[in-house]
Amino acid sequence: MKRNEVSNCLLCNSTLNQQITWKALLTNAFPKTFCIDCEQKFEPYENTSDQILSLYQYNDAMKDFLHRYKFMHDIILAKVFREQIHKHLSKTRATIVPIPLHPAKLKERTFAQVDELLKAAHIPYEHFLEKTTTETQVGKTRQERLATSQFFKLVKECKNKEILLIDDIYTTGATIQHAKSLLLESGAKSVKAFTLIRG
Amino acid sequence: MKLIKSPFKSYKGIILEPQIRDFFTGRIWIRTNTPFPQEKIETNLKFFKITPGITTKRGLLNRKIYRCNRCHNEKQQEFVRYDCARCNQTCIYCRHCINMGRVTSCTDLITWNGPKPKFSRNHILDWDGTFTDSQSKASKELTESIRRKNKHLVHAVCGAGKTEILFPAVLTALKEGLRVCIATPRTDVVLELFPRFQKVFPKTIIHALYGNAPTQTGLAQLVIATTHQLYRFENAFDVVIVDEADAFPYTYDPALQKAVLKVKKQHAPIALVTATPSHQILSKVKQEQWGYSFIPKRYHGHPLPVPIFQSLWSYDKQILKGKIPSKLSKWTETRLKNKEPFLIFFPTIKLMEIAIPLFQQINENILSVHAEDPDRKEKVLKLRNEDIPGLLTTTILERGITIKNVQVAVVGAESKIFTSSALIQISGRVGRNVNFPKGEIIFYHHGISTEMDEARTEIIRLNKEGFGGKTT
Repeated sequence: MKRNEVSNCLLCNSTLNQQITWKALLTNAFPKTFCIDCEQKFEPYENTSDQILSLYQYNDAMKDFLHRYKFMHDIILAKVFREQIHKHLSKTRATIVPIPLHPAKLKERTFAQVDELLKAAHIPYEHFLEKTTTETQVGKTRQERLATSQFFKLVKECKNKEILLIDDIYTTGATIQHAKSLLLESGAKSVKAFTLIRG
Repeated sequence: MKLIKSPFKSYKGIILEPQIRDFFTGRIWIRTNTPFPQEKIETNLKFFKITPGITTKRGLLNRKIYRCNRCHNEKQQEFVRYDCARCNQTCIYCRHCINMGRVTSCTDLITWNGPKPKFSRNHILDWDGTFTDSQSKASKELTESIRRKNKHLVHAVCGAGKTEILFPAVLTALKEGLRVCIATPRTDVVLELFPRFQKVFPKTIIHALYGNAPTQTGLAQLVIATTHQLYRFENAFDVVIVDEADAFPYTYDPALQKAVLKVKKQHAPIALVTATPSHQILSKVKQEQWGYSFIPKRYHGHPLPVPIFQSLWSYDKQILKGKIPSKLSKWTETRLKNKEPFLIFFPTIKLMEIAIPLFQQINENILSVHAEDPDRKEKVLKLRNEDIPGLLTTTILERGITIKNVQVAVVGAESKIFTSSALIQISGRVGRNVNFPKGEIIFYHHGISTEMDEARTEIIRLNKEGFGGKTT
């Protein structure tokens, strides 16, 4: 990891005055990628269940972040939350499974947003699922989303595994529900979920 | 009269759609992200030249040096390498112009290479205003420079009537069938210039381009655009005029300055128009022998209001404590009593947001604006229409706005953000109307900075130049 890979805040482009500390030199901490002002704009999410954990609320700052990352394709923004993601996922014993994109969608976007978040946070992951429809959830009501039929298929054996599903955003839970039920039906021991954002 | 070319000579097997030609002439665009259906682009592909989005050259020690072919950015920190799922290899993208749609090394950029459209020579200038002597002199000098393809600087004080000076020069160029671009760093200036030019050039197709501008059709011969939008043009204009050439971010961003050079044709002239030319610009003018016009007088013939310095010690602490410093609140109350519209400039959004509820206790209709405010346009309009008594603002309103009889205070004039040119521009908001040529401009400070001194000295100097020694 290069120490000075980011010299300006990735979000507002103001200069980051990073001080070299013993902690930074001796531990494997991630160098800062965004400034304190930007950091304060994100609100942490208060988790109520241990089945689905989320880190942040979907406020205006987060909307802006997700737009720039996912739709403007600014991949380097995956590094913004790497420290927090690393903190939450590095100790888990479960197998980390990102929610996949449809292969056609992946070609169009040129990157898988969930995989990139994990890569930036140095979290190893495995793909068990494949998406079978290119239809998106955007613009559907909650009822419509929950009523859609299964849009994942299994690509790898998951018997007796403890699985932690990872997604960028949890809105109605339809995506996570589909993935979870498929994995449980296929013999997974337990399935929990973790998302960066709770909508 | 020239003979009309047979349409069959340029026939390349398919019928060319004029909308596509008109849109892409002079533009550089991402192949897959045009306003046209993708099939139309693909069927017309033989009319386009394709360039890769990012080119790589080798620098010192064989290190790779990237360059974005749309914004011509070469700052290496702004290039990001990533594993591209489309190409299954490492690709590079440019963060500098990412807001206009990402350009990667695997993106194709297209420029028009088909038959060139003809620009109209039939233009009229529908303007019945009159020039002062110095205005007409500057206007003639500018027109002459453009005709000779010479670079030119118009240095005119705030309120000298810079826009009008451009009219004859633009008309001459348009009548020769040339394509003209007026670029400015500020969206507000584009929004102000566009209706004015539309009114006086009724026969010309004019487009206004800025972030999130509505789509406009036809082949625009006159383009009024923010300097950022110039990234999307290449080798397009025969004349480029940069208005407010000293404004942020143009002076701070070398890519924007390069953009101005890339949008003009090779020998096309550039004209800069500003009230506060930087030292770099002035020395360039001397070295490269640009044409130079100087207007020290306002169009109405009254001198520029000279700023008054007043101490406002620890204003920030007082505001944080929830109290407006008494001098400032008195000033505000006087403005309210005299029913004079006022602007109060703040150095930071933060301080302004703490101050606004305090001001609203004095008068609940006082509002505040800053750069990210979506209602910016409406709020300024409200002040102009006298719906609200005054406005708190950041430096975003330092230029381009004209409000009748406005009175101005700058809080924390010693702050870094208020450079001498910003302060001159702010002072230039006052006394622009012929019926209210005087007005108050006060710099409230916590210690006088050199920039404040410089601004005041420059205003006094300009008044001397314009009025031969007499200052008010």
